[in-house]
Amino acid sequence: MAAPSYGKRPWTFYVLAALFTLFVIFLYGPMISVLVLSFQGPSAALNFPLRDPSLMWFDELFNPRRVGDVPGAFSRSLPLALITMLLTVLIAVTAGFAFRRRFRGATLVFYMAIASLIIPGLVLSIGILVTARFLGLSASWYTTALGAHLSWTLPFGLLIMFAVLGRLSPSYEEAAYDLGARRWQTIKEVVLPIVFPGIIAVALFGFTLSYDEFPRSWLTVGTLNTLPLEIWTMTTNVTSPALYALGTVTTVVSFIVIALALGSILIIQRRRSGSS
Amino acid sequence: MNYAPTIAPAAATSAHAKGAGEIRLVNLTKSFGDTDAVKNINLTIPHGSYCCLLGPSGCGKTTILRMIAGHETPTSGEIYIGDDMVVGKSPVERGTAMMFQSYALFPHLSVLDNVAFYLKMRGVGKEERRARAREMLERVQLSHLADRMPAQLSGGQQQRVALARSLITNPKVLLLDEPLSALDEFLRLKMRGELKNLQAELGITFVHVTHTQPEAIALADMVVVMDTGRIEQAASANEIYNRPTTPYVARFMGGQNVLTGKVKSVAGKIMVLESAKGEHFEVPVAGSAPKTRETVSISVRRDRISIAKPGKGKAAAPVNTVAGMVDSTEYQGSFVKVSVRLENGELFVAHVPDHDYFAGPVNHGDAVVAHWSPEHVHVLSKADTGGVKDPYAGSEH
Repeated sequence: MAAPSYGKRPWTFYVLAALFTLFVIFLYGPMISVLVLSFQGPSAALNFPLRDPSLMWFDELFNPRRVGDVPGAFSRSLPLALITMLLTVLIAVTAGFAFRRRFRGATLVFYMAIASLIIPGLVLSIGILVTARFLGLSASWYTTALGAHLSWTLPFGLLIMFAVLGRLSPSYEEAAYDLGARRWQTIKEVVLPIVFPGIIAVALFGFTLSYDEFPRSWLTVGTLNTLPLEIWTMTTNVTSPALYALGTVTTVVSFIVIALALGSILIIQRRRSGSS
Repeated sequence: MNYAPTIAPAAATSAHAKGAGEIRLVNLTKSFGDTDAVKNINLTIPHGSYCCLLGPSGCGKTTILRMIAGHETPTSGEIYIGDDMVVGKSPVERGTAMMFQSYALFPHLSVLDNVAFYLKMRGVGKEERRARAREMLERVQLSHLADRMPAQLSGGQQQRVALARSLITNPKVLLLDEPLSALDEFLRLKMRGELKNLQAELGITFVHVTHTQPEAIALADMVVVMDTGRIEQAASANEIYNRPTTPYVARFMGGQNVLTGKVKSVAGKIMVLESAKGEHFEVPVAGSAPKTRETVSISVRRDRISIAKPGKGKAAAPVNTVAGMVDSTEYQGSFVKVSVRLENGELFVAHVPDHDYFAGPVNHGDAVVAHWSPEHVHVLSKADTGGVKDPYAGSEH
């Protein structure tokens, strides 16, 4: 007689679990390799094994002698990402509110905004450069590159706001109106606090999409590179583990940003469910 | 779990002048595109009354409530509260407060700050508004939950908070959009009683939208029965239940059977109707009698009907009787609901006292006759044209 089974896992569970493990290794394995090799010793080997671990390549990165201008690139990429983030939040949130009330041509405007996602970034980059030349403007990270980045982050921001505001019941706004709140008070005291986690998500997207954007930056930054462009240049002419050190630093910055965003969303949700 | 202590409002909360909470709707119409949600309605709800707007989904009752509240603008017509024409005014200017079906408690604010929201909007300082909100919470006996977040409350508690948040505006009119629909049966009955008491103690006008007949009958001083954007009948609960004016109301309220026939003869205070099948119904005549051959509909209360197996070899055609087959029987405790399928396919329902039923039970498929006395017949002012169907046919009410 067979022993009774109490929910034994089927064989498919183990197959899928193995598949998922492979996927995770595929995702993070390369990152981990870069991380490990960034601590390479003075042997300057670009491959495993790791010999005489040291921090010398990080030092090289911040006090450039042989590598490119990493601190300079970072000092452009960070403000560019922050400005892009700020503008994305501002425009996507207000545009999201505009779309809450159906207006004539709303669908057309929406599809036009989304369509810019499918235009190849490099083509857009060329287009922006040519147009800027035609208008007599010089390309720089804070003008043409900023515009190019917004063409990438705004549709994403708008899509997120659609999802966020789509779940916001109109009865909250009506209740606020019922209790004597003016339009601005309703937005400030009710709507914005309720959708705040969604706004953080928009900000996160705005920042990360801009921070590691390559194709749209390619021709639009002018003479001074942003970080992704600097990394790309280095891969072609730098042959030291400083490259890995740079990969590690940029990844750490990205992770800090994501952790901050998710952390604040979590804190807000924790506070609302009252388990503080 | 704390199941709903009674709401105890302070005595004489409302300082509104008599008549201030009267609502008058004049030729009110609301269209959405090509469809009229509300068609040319005239209605006066007296000050300090409990009014229920009753009807099936999509009949326009919520639209009327939202227009009174100021959350929907009429396409045409006027709304008066007291002596003021309020179309275009904000809810606070109107002196109305609305309780939303979903309660719409702000999820990011504590119970206390939800209740204090109105005062905050008016610029009342933090200390004072919190003190007053605490007072209001005490009245609905929820002060122990002041610091909780809405997500931590049960449905009944959320409703109380929503009520407190509305009442802190000291409204002349409280508008309730299906306030009990989200609660379980036990709590629903309890809150129903509390709403009624609250209204009586505050003395302000309550307008309550519902699609449940027993709720309307239990609560309302005035029941407004609606169908597809029109008012079918507006009267006291007793009147609506016992003397419906139209076949729709008679069927919708659920307590009546509707029969139709042509006037065959009128003799003194009694006229005789002949149905399409040839049955004869005696009907008491009040006022002027209809002309011969005119079509008239009558209603007969379900609990005034006796059910019997057909008698053997009766010579004379029975009067005030219909025959059919038992479709279903449902035991309801104090009575048994017997549904009889007539030959024309319609259901005829009798509520037979349990004692009588069990003395001579009938079952599914039995041939039976249903009989009543003419004094329990009520004449409808509108004949049944057959176009109107009871939206709740066969449901239990």
